[in-house]
Amino acid sequence: MNAIERILTPENLKFMLLGAKYSLLIAIFALIGGSVLGLLAAVAKMSKIKPARIIANIYVEVIRGTPMMLQILVLYLCGPVITKALFNFVFTPNPVLVGIIAIAINSGAYSSELFRSAIQSVDKGQWEAAQTIGLSYTQTMKEIIIPQAFKRILPPYINEFIVLIKDSSLLANIGAVELLHSAQVIGAKFYNYLVPLLCATVMYLVVTLFISFCARKLERRLAESD
Amino acid sequence: MIKAVNLCKTFGKIKAVDNVNLEINQGEVICIIGPSGSGKSTLIRCLHGLETPESGELYIDDKKIDFSKNNSKELSKIGFVFQSFNLFPHKTVLENLTLGPIKAFGVSQKDAEETGRKLLARVGLADKENSYPSQLSGGQKQRVAIARALCQNPEAILFDEPTSALDPEMIGEVLNVMKELADEGMTLAVVTHEMGFAKKVATRVIFVDSGKIVEEGTPDQIFENPQSPRLKEFLSQIIHM
Repeated sequence: MNAIERILTPENLKFMLLGAKYSLLIAIFALIGGSVLGLLAAVAKMSKIKPARIIANIYVEVIRGTPMMLQILVLYLCGPVITKALFNFVFTPNPVLVGIIAIAINSGAYSSELFRSAIQSVDKGQWEAAQTIGLSYTQTMKEIIIPQAFKRILPPYINEFIVLIKDSSLLANIGAVELLHSAQVIGAKFYNYLVPLLCATVMYLVVTLFISFCARKLERRLAESD
Repeated sequence: MIKAVNLCKTFGKIKAVDNVNLEINQGEVICIIGPSGSGKSTLIRCLHGLETPESGELYIDDKKIDFSKNNSKELSKIGFVFQSFNLFPHKTVLENLTLGPIKAFGVSQKDAEETGRKLLARVGLADKENSYPSQLSGGQKQRVAIARALCQNPEAILFDEPTSALDPEMIGEVLNVMKELADEGMTLAVVTHEMGFAKKVATRVIFVDSGKIVEEGTPDQIFENPQSPRLKEFLSQIIHM
Protein backbone atom coordinates (compact mmCIF):
# COMPACT_ATOMS: atom_id res chain seq x y z
CA MET A 1 0.00 0.00 0.00
CA ASN A 2 2.77 2.28 0.93
CA ALA A 3 4.55 1.67 -2.35
CA ILE A 4 1.46 2.53 -4.35
CA GLU A 5 1.01 5.82 -2.54
CA ARG A 6 4.69 6.61 -2.89
CA ILE A 7 4.89 5.82 -6.59
CA LEU A 8 1.50 6.71 -8.00
CA THR A 9 1.66 10.37 -7.12
CA PRO A 10 -0.49 12.70 -9.22
CA GLU A 11 2.64 13.77 -11.06
CA ASN A 12 3.65 10.23 -11.95
CA LEU A 13 0.12 9.34 -12.90
CA LYS A 14 0.09 12.33 -15.20
CA PHE A 15 3.35 11.08 -16.68
CA MET A 16 1.82 7.66 -17.26
CA LEU A 17 -1.29 9.20 -18.83
CA LEU A 18 0.91 11.24 -21.13
CA GLY A 19 2.52 7.97 -22.19
CA ALA A 20 -0.89 6.46 -22.74
CA LYS A 21 -1.87 9.44 -24.86
CA TYR A 22 1.23 8.98 -26.98
CA SER A 23 0.54 5.27 -27.34
CA LEU A 24 -2.90 6.09 -28.68
CA LEU A 25 -1.61 8.79 -31.00
CA ILE A 26 1.10 6.50 -32.33
CA ALA A 27 -1.50 3.81 -32.99
CA ILE A 28 -3.89 6.24 -34.69
CA PHE A 29 -1.28 7.73 -37.01
CA ALA A 30 0.21 4.32 -37.75
CA LEU A 31 -3.27 3.02 -38.57
CA ILE A 32 -3.89 5.89 -40.97
CA GLY A 33 -0.48 5.49 -42.63
CA GLY A 34 -0.90 1.72 -42.68
CA SER A 35 -4.32 2.05 -44.32
CA VAL A 36 -2.92 4.14 -47.13
CA LEU A 37 -0.04 1.71 -47.66
CA GLY A 38 -2.33 -1.29 -47.29
CA LEU A 39 -4.84 0.02 -49.78
CA LEU A 40 -2.10 0.81 -52.29
CA ALA A 41 -0.58 -2.64 -51.81
CA ALA A 42 -3.99 -4.29 -52.15
CA VAL A 43 -4.75 -2.46 -55.39
CA ALA A 44 -1.24 -3.23 -56.67
CA LYS A 45 -1.69 -6.92 -55.84
CA MET A 46 -4.89 -7.07 -57.87
CA SER A 47 -3.42 -4.98 -60.66
CA LYS A 48 -2.93 -6.22 -64.20
CA ILE A 49 0.55 -4.66 -64.16
CA LYS A 50 3.03 -7.37 -63.26
CA PRO A 51 5.79 -5.19 -61.73
CA ALA A 52 3.20 -3.60 -59.41
CA ARG A 53 2.11 -7.06 -58.27
CA ILE A 54 5.72 -8.14 -57.71
CA ILE A 55 6.64 -5.04 -55.68
CA ALA A 56 3.50 -5.37 -53.55
CA ASN A 57 4.19 -9.05 -52.93
CA ILE A 58 7.79 -8.41 -51.92
CA TYR A 59 6.67 -5.67 -49.54
CA VAL A 60 4.05 -7.86 -47.89
CA GLU A 61 6.26 -10.95 -47.65
CA VAL A 62 9.31 -9.12 -46.29
CA ILE A 63 7.31 -7.28 -43.65
CA ARG A 64 5.26 -10.27 -42.59
CA GLY A 65 8.26 -12.55 -42.58
CA THR A 66 10.43 -10.49 -40.24
CA PRO A 67 10.00 -9.38 -36.62
CA MET A 68 8.49 -5.97 -36.09
CA MET A 69 11.19 -5.10 -33.56
CA LEU A 70 13.79 -5.64 -36.27
CA GLN A 71 11.91 -3.33 -38.63
CA ILE A 72 11.75 -0.62 -35.98
CA LEU A 73 15.46 -0.95 -35.21
CA VAL A 74 16.43 -0.92 -38.88
CA LEU A 75 14.49 2.26 -39.48
CA TYR A 76 15.67 3.95 -36.30
CA LEU A 77 19.32 2.90 -36.20
CA CYS A 78 20.05 2.49 -39.89
CA GLY A 79 17.74 5.16 -41.31
CA PRO A 80 20.28 7.99 -41.04
CA VAL A 81 23.05 5.77 -42.43
CA ILE A 82 20.94 4.87 -45.42
CA THR A 83 19.88 8.42 -46.18
CA LYS A 84 23.51 9.51 -45.85
CA ALA A 85 24.65 6.90 -48.34
CA LEU A 86 21.83 7.66 -50.75
CA PHE A 87 21.27 11.38 -50.49
CA ASN A 88 24.21 12.53 -48.33
CA PHE A 89 21.62 13.64 -45.81
CA VAL A 90 21.90 12.94 -42.10
CA PHE A 91 19.09 13.39 -39.62
CA THR A 92 18.60 12.77 -35.96
CA PRO A 93 15.69 10.40 -35.83
CA ASN A 94 12.80 11.30 -33.62
CA PRO A 95 11.85 8.00 -31.98
CA VAL A 96 8.11 8.70 -31.98
CA LEU A 97 8.08 9.74 -35.62
CA VAL A 98 10.30 6.87 -36.77
CA GLY A 99 8.18 4.54 -34.65
CA ILE A 100 4.97 5.69 -36.31
CA ILE A 101 6.50 5.17 -39.75
CA ALA A 102 7.83 1.72 -38.85
CA ILE A 103 4.50 0.58 -37.40
CA ALA A 104 2.62 2.04 -40.36
CA ILE A 105 4.81 0.11 -42.78
CA ASN A 106 4.26 -3.04 -40.76
CA SER A 107 0.51 -2.52 -40.44
CA GLY A 108 0.18 -1.77 -44.16
CA ALA A 109 1.51 -5.21 -45.04
CA TYR A 110 -1.04 -6.92 -42.83
CA SER A 111 -4.00 -4.72 -43.72
CA SER A 112 -3.31 -5.10 -47.45
CA GLU A 113 -4.57 -8.67 -47.17
CA LEU A 114 -7.58 -7.41 -45.25
CA PHE A 115 -8.35 -4.87 -47.97
CA ARG A 116 -7.74 -7.32 -50.77
CA SER A 117 -10.08 -9.96 -49.42
CA ALA A 118 -12.77 -7.38 -48.64
CA ILE A 119 -12.53 -5.85 -52.10
CA GLN A 120 -12.64 -9.25 -53.76
CA SER A 121 -15.63 -10.25 -51.67
CA VAL A 122 -17.75 -7.59 -53.37
CA ASP A 123 -19.95 -9.24 -55.97
CA LYS A 124 -18.57 -9.24 -59.51
CA GLY A 125 -21.93 -7.93 -60.73
CA GLN A 126 -21.20 -4.62 -59.02
CA TRP A 127 -18.15 -4.14 -61.25
CA GLU A 128 -20.18 -5.07 -64.29
CA ALA A 129 -23.05 -2.75 -63.44
CA ALA A 130 -20.60 0.11 -62.86
CA GLN A 131 -18.99 -0.65 -66.21
CA THR A 132 -22.32 -0.55 -68.03
CA ILE A 133 -23.17 2.90 -66.66
CA GLY A 134 -19.82 4.23 -67.84
CA LEU A 135 -17.80 4.46 -64.62
CA SER A 136 -14.03 4.16 -64.85
CA TYR A 137 -11.96 1.76 -62.74
CA THR A 138 -11.08 4.46 -60.22
CA GLN A 139 -14.65 5.72 -60.02
CA THR A 140 -15.94 2.19 -59.54
CA MET A 141 -13.42 1.57 -56.76
CA LYS A 142 -14.25 4.83 -55.02
CA GLU A 143 -18.03 4.92 -55.46
CA ILE A 144 -19.03 1.27 -55.51
CA ILE A 145 -16.43 -1.18 -54.29
CA ILE A 146 -14.64 0.47 -51.37
CA PRO A 147 -17.82 1.66 -49.61
CA GLN A 148 -19.15 -1.91 -49.69
CA ALA A 149 -15.82 -3.44 -48.74
CA PHE A 150 -15.53 -0.96 -45.88
CA LYS A 151 -18.50 -2.43 -44.07
CA ARG A 152 -16.98 -5.90 -44.18
CA ILE A 153 -13.57 -4.67 -43.18
CA LEU A 154 -14.65 -2.68 -40.14
CA PRO A 155 -14.56 -5.43 -37.48
CA PRO A 156 -11.11 -6.81 -38.37
CA TYR A 157 -9.93 -3.27 -38.90
CA ILE A 158 -10.79 -2.22 -35.37
CA ASN A 159 -8.98 -5.30 -34.21
CA GLU A 160 -5.94 -4.09 -36.15
CA PHE A 161 -6.17 -0.82 -34.22
CA ILE A 162 -6.04 -2.71 -30.93
CA VAL A 163 -3.03 -4.65 -32.17
CA LEU A 164 -1.30 -1.39 -33.04
CA ILE A 165 -1.92 0.05 -29.58
CA LYS A 166 -0.16 -2.96 -28.13
CA ASP A 167 2.55 -2.91 -30.79
CA SER A 168 3.34 0.70 -29.99
CA SER A 169 4.89 -0.58 -26.74
CA LEU A 170 7.79 -1.92 -28.81
CA LEU A 171 8.84 1.68 -29.32
CA ALA A 172 9.87 1.76 -25.63
CA ASN A 173 13.04 0.07 -26.89
CA ILE A 174 14.05 3.08 -28.96
CA GLY A 175 13.11 5.52 -26.22
CA ALA A 176 9.89 6.87 -27.70
CA VAL A 177 7.47 8.41 -25.26
CA GLU A 178 4.63 5.94 -24.83
CA LEU A 179 2.87 4.09 -22.06
CA LEU A 180 5.28 1.20 -21.48
CA HIS A 181 8.24 3.54 -21.69
CA SER A 182 6.68 5.79 -19.03
CA ALA A 183 6.13 2.79 -16.80
CA GLN A 184 9.74 1.70 -17.23
CA VAL A 185 11.04 5.20 -16.47
CA ILE A 186 9.04 5.35 -13.25
CA GLY A 187 10.03 1.79 -12.40
CA ALA A 188 13.71 2.66 -12.74
CA LYS A 189 13.31 5.80 -10.69
CA PHE A 190 11.72 4.07 -7.70
CA TYR A 191 13.39 0.66 -8.01
CA ASN A 192 9.89 -0.75 -8.17
CA TYR A 193 8.51 -2.12 -11.42
CA LEU A 194 5.50 -3.89 -10.04
CA VAL A 195 3.37 -0.82 -9.41
CA PRO A 196 4.03 1.11 -12.65
CA LEU A 197 3.76 -2.01 -14.81
CA LEU A 198 0.49 -2.98 -13.14
CA CYS A 199 -0.72 0.56 -13.67
CA ALA A 200 0.25 0.33 -17.36
CA THR A 201 -1.54 -3.02 -17.59
CA VAL A 202 -4.74 -1.44 -16.31
CA MET A 203 -4.42 1.49 -18.72
CA TYR A 204 -3.83 -0.76 -21.74
CA LEU A 205 -6.78 -2.92 -20.75
CA VAL A 206 -9.13 0.01 -20.24
CA VAL A 207 -8.36 1.30 -23.72
CA THR A 208 -8.42 -2.02 -25.58
CA LEU A 209 -11.51 -3.35 -23.82
CA PHE A 210 -13.33 -0.10 -24.47
CA ILE A 211 -12.47 -0.23 -28.16
CA SER A 212 -13.51 -3.84 -28.58
CA PHE A 213 -16.75 -3.08 -26.75
CA CYS A 214 -17.46 -0.28 -29.25
CA ALA A 215 -16.50 -2.60 -32.11
CA ARG A 216 -19.03 -5.20 -30.99
CA LYS A 217 -21.77 -2.59 -30.78
CA LEU A 218 -20.91 -1.27 -34.21
CA GLU A 219 -20.82 -4.75 -35.67
CA ARG A 220 -24.28 -5.46 -34.33
CA ARG A 221 -25.62 -2.23 -35.79
CA LEU A 222 -24.08 -2.98 -39.19
CA ALA A 223 -25.53 -6.46 -39.13
CA GLU A 224 -28.98 -4.97 -38.55
CA SER A 225 -28.79 -2.73 -41.62
CA ASP A 226 -28.05 -5.65 -43.90
CA MET B 1 -26.53 0.04 -84.49
CA ILE B 2 -24.81 -2.96 -82.90
CA LYS B 3 -23.04 -5.35 -85.21
CA ALA B 4 -21.15 -8.50 -84.26
CA VAL B 5 -19.01 -10.21 -86.86
CA ASN B 6 -17.72 -13.77 -86.41
CA LEU B 7 -17.82 -13.46 -82.63
CA CYS B 8 -16.23 -16.34 -80.70
CA LYS B 9 -15.94 -16.91 -76.97
CA THR B 10 -14.87 -20.12 -75.29
CA PHE B 11 -14.79 -21.13 -71.64
CA GLY B 12 -12.22 -23.89 -71.37
CA LYS B 13 -13.35 -26.36 -74.02
CA ILE B 14 -16.91 -25.09 -74.31
CA LYS B 15 -17.68 -22.81 -77.21
CA ALA B 16 -20.17 -20.48 -75.58
CA VAL B 17 -20.35 -18.23 -78.60
CA ASP B 18 -19.40 -19.92 -81.84
CA ASN B 19 -18.81 -17.67 -84.83
CA VAL B 20 -21.90 -15.55 -84.40
CA ASN B 21 -22.92 -12.81 -86.82
CA LEU B 22 -25.62 -10.54 -85.53
CA GLU B 23 -26.84 -7.11 -86.39
CA ILE B 24 -29.24 -5.13 -84.26
CA ASN B 25 -30.92 -2.25 -86.05
CA GLN B 26 -32.64 0.81 -84.75
CA GLY B 27 -36.14 0.15 -83.44
CA GLU B 28 -35.82 -3.63 -83.42
CA VAL B 29 -36.97 -5.73 -80.50
CA ILE B 30 -34.93 -8.89 -80.61
CA CYS B 31 -35.61 -11.82 -78.35
CA ILE B 32 -32.87 -14.39 -78.00
CA ILE B 33 -34.18 -17.76 -76.90
CA GLY B 34 -32.57 -21.12 -76.44
CA PRO B 35 -31.91 -23.88 -73.90
CA SER B 36 -29.92 -23.24 -70.73
CA GLY B 37 -26.20 -23.25 -71.37
CA SER B 38 -26.69 -22.51 -75.05
CA GLY B 39 -24.55 -19.39 -74.79
CA LYS B 40 -27.26 -16.80 -75.18
CA SER B 41 -26.24 -14.92 -72.02
CA THR B 42 -22.60 -14.98 -73.05
CA LEU B 43 -23.59 -13.65 -76.44
CA ILE B 44 -25.45 -10.67 -75.06
CA ARG B 45 -22.68 -10.01 -72.54
CA CYS B 46 -20.19 -9.96 -75.41
CA LEU B 47 -22.28 -7.27 -77.08
CA HIS B 48 -21.61 -5.02 -74.10
CA GLY B 49 -17.98 -5.89 -73.55
CA LEU B 50 -18.76 -7.71 -70.30
CA GLU B 51 -17.07 -10.72 -71.88
CA THR B 52 -14.08 -10.25 -74.10
CA PRO B 53 -14.47 -12.38 -77.21
CA GLU B 54 -11.42 -14.33 -78.41
CA SER B 55 -12.02 -13.41 -81.98
CA GLY B 56 -14.47 -11.49 -84.05
CA GLU B 57 -15.43 -7.89 -84.16
CA LEU B 58 -17.97 -5.72 -82.47
CA TYR B 59 -19.20 -2.45 -83.91
CA ILE B 60 -21.35 0.11 -82.16
CA ASP B 61 -22.68 2.76 -84.52
CA ASP B 62 -20.11 1.58 -87.07
CA LYS B 63 -17.29 2.22 -84.63
CA LYS B 64 -15.11 -0.80 -83.99
CA ILE B 65 -14.68 -1.72 -80.33
CA ASP B 66 -11.10 -2.39 -79.38
CA PHE B 67 -11.30 -4.80 -76.46
CA SER B 68 -7.77 -4.07 -75.28
CA LYS B 69 -8.85 -0.56 -74.39
CA ASN B 70 -11.44 1.06 -72.22
CA ASN B 71 -14.53 1.53 -74.36
CA SER B 72 -16.81 3.02 -71.75
CA LYS B 73 -17.69 5.94 -74.02
CA GLU B 74 -19.00 3.82 -76.88
CA LEU B 75 -20.45 1.11 -74.68
CA SER B 76 -22.39 3.49 -72.48
CA LYS B 77 -24.55 4.32 -75.51
CA ILE B 78 -26.01 0.90 -74.81
CA GLY B 79 -27.81 0.15 -71.58
CA PHE B 80 -27.62 -3.23 -69.88
CA VAL B 81 -30.01 -4.93 -67.49
CA PHE B 82 -28.80 -7.95 -65.54
CA GLN B 83 -30.59 -11.03 -64.34
CA SER B 84 -29.48 -10.31 -60.77
CA PHE B 85 -30.26 -6.56 -60.96
CA ASN B 86 -26.82 -5.51 -59.66
CA LEU B 87 -28.14 -2.38 -58.04
CA PHE B 88 -25.69 -0.63 -55.74
CA PRO B 89 -26.90 -1.65 -52.27
CA HIS B 90 -25.28 1.26 -50.42
CA LYS B 91 -26.95 3.90 -52.59
CA THR B 92 -30.57 5.01 -52.62
CA VAL B 93 -32.73 4.28 -55.62
CA LEU B 94 -32.28 7.80 -56.93
CA GLU B 95 -28.51 7.70 -56.36
CA ASN B 96 -28.37 4.43 -58.29
CA LEU B 97 -29.86 6.30 -61.22
CA THR B 98 -27.85 9.50 -61.01
CA LEU B 99 -24.40 8.07 -60.27
CA GLY B 100 -23.56 7.27 -63.88
CA PRO B 101 -24.72 10.55 -65.40
CA ILE B 102 -23.01 12.62 -62.68
CA LYS B 103 -19.70 10.74 -62.48
CA ALA B 104 -19.24 9.42 -66.00
CA PHE B 105 -20.91 12.12 -68.07
CA GLY B 106 -20.51 15.22 -65.92
CA VAL B 107 -24.24 15.96 -65.75
CA SER B 108 -25.08 18.34 -62.91
CA GLN B 109 -26.66 16.78 -59.86
CA LYS B 110 -29.82 18.81 -60.31
CA ASP B 111 -30.33 17.76 -63.93
CA ALA B 112 -29.45 14.16 -63.16
CA GLU B 113 -31.95 14.04 -60.33
CA GLU B 114 -34.64 15.59 -62.47
CA THR B 115 -34.09 12.99 -65.19
CA GLY B 116 -33.87 10.27 -62.56
CA ARG B 117 -37.21 11.21 -61.01
CA LYS B 118 -38.88 11.29 -64.41
CA LEU B 119 -37.58 7.84 -65.22
CA LEU B 120 -38.61 6.47 -61.84
CA ALA B 121 -42.11 7.77 -62.51
CA ARG B 122 -41.99 6.08 -65.90
CA VAL B 123 -41.30 2.68 -64.32
CA GLY B 124 -43.93 3.38 -61.66
CA LEU B 125 -41.59 3.85 -58.70
CA ALA B 126 -41.74 7.60 -58.10
CA ASP B 127 -42.38 7.05 -54.39
CA LYS B 128 -39.26 4.91 -53.90
CA GLU B 129 -36.51 7.38 -54.71
CA ASN B 130 -35.16 7.45 -51.15
CA SER B 131 -35.45 3.71 -50.52
CA TYR B 132 -32.49 1.40 -50.57
CA PRO B 133 -32.45 -1.60 -52.92
CA SER B 134 -32.76 -4.02 -49.99
CA GLN B 135 -36.17 -2.49 -49.21
CA LEU B 136 -37.56 -3.29 -52.66
CA SER B 137 -39.13 -6.42 -54.10
CA GLY B 138 -37.42 -8.22 -56.96
CA GLY B 139 -39.74 -6.73 -59.55
CA GLN B 140 -39.18 -3.24 -58.17
CA LYS B 141 -35.41 -3.78 -58.20
CA GLN B 142 -35.48 -4.79 -61.82
CA ARG B 143 -37.60 -1.78 -62.72
CA VAL B 144 -35.06 0.45 -60.96
CA ALA B 145 -32.34 -1.29 -62.96
CA ILE B 146 -34.22 -0.52 -66.17
CA ALA B 147 -34.60 3.11 -65.10
CA ARG B 148 -30.86 3.18 -64.36
CA ALA B 149 -30.11 1.92 -67.85
CA LEU B 150 -32.45 4.57 -69.29
CA CYS B 151 -30.63 7.30 -67.37
CA GLN B 152 -27.70 7.29 -69.75
CA ASN B 153 -30.16 8.00 -72.56
CA PRO B 154 -29.16 4.84 -74.42
CA GLU B 155 -29.68 4.05 -78.09
CA ALA B 156 -30.48 0.47 -77.18
CA ILE B 157 -30.89 -1.65 -74.07
CA LEU B 158 -29.69 -5.21 -73.70
CA PHE B 159 -31.42 -7.51 -71.21
CA ASP B 160 -29.86 -10.67 -69.84
CA GLU B 161 -32.72 -12.82 -68.57
CA PRO B 162 -34.36 -9.90 -66.78
CA THR B 163 -37.14 -11.95 -65.23
CA SER B 164 -35.38 -15.22 -64.42
CA ALA B 165 -34.59 -14.24 -60.84
CA LEU B 166 -38.10 -13.02 -60.10
CA ASP B 167 -41.05 -14.57 -58.35
CA PRO B 168 -43.74 -15.44 -60.90
CA GLU B 169 -46.13 -12.72 -59.77
CA MET B 170 -43.49 -10.05 -60.35
CA ILE B 171 -42.58 -11.01 -63.88
CA GLY B 172 -45.54 -9.17 -65.38
CA GLU B 173 -44.64 -5.74 -64.00
CA VAL B 174 -41.15 -5.94 -65.47
CA LEU B 175 -42.32 -7.25 -68.83
CA ASN B 176 -44.89 -4.44 -68.97
CA VAL B 177 -42.19 -1.82 -68.56
CA MET B 178 -40.16 -3.52 -71.30
CA LYS B 179 -43.19 -3.65 -73.57
CA GLU B 180 -43.79 0.06 -73.04
CA LEU B 181 -40.19 0.75 -74.03
CA ALA B 182 -40.65 -1.33 -77.16
CA ASP B 183 -43.87 0.51 -77.99
CA GLU B 184 -42.02 3.81 -77.66
CA GLY B 185 -39.56 2.64 -80.28
CA MET B 186 -36.59 1.80 -78.06
CA THR B 187 -34.22 -0.75 -79.52
CA LEU B 188 -34.14 -3.83 -77.31
CA ALA B 189 -32.31 -7.12 -77.32
CA VAL B 190 -33.61 -9.53 -74.71
CA VAL B 191 -32.33 -12.92 -73.67
CA THR B 192 -35.42 -14.52 -72.22
CA HIS B 193 -37.37 -17.63 -71.37
CA GLU B 194 -40.65 -15.70 -71.55
CA MET B 195 -42.00 -17.06 -74.81
CA GLY B 196 -45.24 -15.09 -74.46
CA PHE B 197 -43.25 -11.87 -74.38
CA ALA B 198 -41.17 -12.95 -77.36
CA LYS B 199 -44.29 -13.81 -79.36
CA LYS B 200 -46.10 -10.60 -78.56
CA VAL B 201 -43.37 -7.97 -78.49
CA ALA B 202 -40.42 -9.17 -80.55
CA THR B 203 -39.85 -8.03 -84.11
CA ARG B 204 -37.28 -10.77 -84.55
CA VAL B 205 -36.63 -13.95 -82.58
CA ILE B 206 -33.24 -15.63 -82.57
CA PHE B 207 -32.85 -19.23 -81.50
CA VAL B 208 -29.41 -20.04 -80.13
CA ASP B 209 -28.06 -23.50 -79.42
CA SER B 210 -24.48 -24.61 -78.61
CA GLY B 211 -23.24 -21.09 -79.17
CA LYS B 212 -24.61 -20.82 -82.69
CA ILE B 213 -27.57 -18.99 -84.15
CA VAL B 214 -29.59 -21.92 -85.37
CA GLU B 215 -32.61 -20.10 -86.67
CA GLU B 216 -33.99 -16.59 -86.74
CA GLY B 217 -37.12 -14.93 -88.00
CA THR B 218 -40.33 -13.21 -87.01
CA PRO B 219 -42.15 -14.62 -83.98
CA ASP B 220 -44.64 -16.22 -86.34
CA GLN B 221 -41.94 -17.99 -88.31
CA ILE B 222 -40.14 -19.17 -85.20
CA PHE B 223 -43.07 -20.27 -83.07
CA GLU B 224 -45.61 -21.36 -85.68
CA ASN B 225 -43.39 -22.64 -88.43
CA PRO B 226 -40.03 -23.74 -87.02
CA GLN B 227 -37.67 -25.27 -89.57
CA SER B 228 -34.72 -26.83 -87.78
CA PRO B 229 -35.26 -30.05 -85.81
CA ARG B 230 -33.41 -28.55 -82.83
CA LEU B 231 -35.84 -25.62 -82.58
CA LYS B 232 -38.84 -27.92 -83.03
CA GLU B 233 -37.57 -30.08 -80.20
CA PHE B 234 -36.92 -27.02 -77.99
CA LEU B 235 -40.40 -25.62 -78.59
CA SER B 236 -42.07 -28.95 -77.94
CA GLN B 237 -40.33 -29.13 -74.59
CA ILE B 238 -41.21 -25.66 -73.37
CA ILE B 239 -44.81 -25.46 -74.46
CA HIS B 240 -46.64 -27.65 -72.02
CA MET B 241 -50.17 -26.50 -72.58
